[in-house]
Amino acid sequence: MSEWMRKILESKQAMRQRLAALPFADKVKILEQLRDRSRAIAESPLRQKFSK
Amino acid sequence: MKATLAIINQMQSEGIIGKYAIGGAVGATFYLEPAATLDIDIFISFQSAGSLVSLSPIDDYLTKRGFKAEKEYIIIEGWPVQFLPAGNALIEEALAQAVETELEGVRTWVMSAEHLTAIALQTWRAKDFSRILQFVESGTLAPGKLDSILSRHGLLAKWEEFGNKFLKGNS
Repeated sequence: MSEWMRKILESKQAMRQRLAALPFADKVKILEQLRDRSRAIAESPLRQKFSK
Repeated sequence: MKATLAIINQMQSEGIIGKYAIGGAVGATFYLEPAATLDIDIFISFQSAGSLVSLSPIDDYLTKRGFKAEKEYIIIEGWPVQFLPAGNALIEEALAQAVETELEGVRTWVMSAEHLTAIALQTWRAKDFSRILQFVESGTLAPGKLDSILSRHGLLAKWEEFGNKFLKGNS
């Protein structure tokens, strides 16, 4: 594995650990943001045009 | 989600449902990094629900209060909620041993990390594999507790199969 790839994976793992360590209430707020974003994408006319 | 759980707690206090626990992606988020999900899986016990033999008392209770049903979900305070009756011994045990917690002052219960892992193993879909891997990599699982759950519910062979497929050579 190249050095830059190793750094990317380490950084990703560190981010996941930081997020996992957040209080449940903070994680739920992130879930709600993710849910709203998913809904917006699903409702977008562009997506509906291509899903037909 | 706080308001959603408050409604579910109200249903519990009025005897519409018995013991419940959050499972699925929202349950996993209690232990792991948040993962996008559109719904909340609420597992409910038939045993503690007394005479409840169908989900219609839940539907009736919620629709009378203006919450709308959409396919297999009921939208409660912005969250699609799916009520899932405990269909086997593993889920009954997960409910009985669920972890009590609080979300901004609202009491609730979440399945243990080990039970969520065992249920994902039992369910055996691609998204379950991903969740199991997240649990394994996070180091949140208590190996002794997981082994005993897997053994009690006949899941050791599946665990070995999962390990051979996804964990070999990763250590």
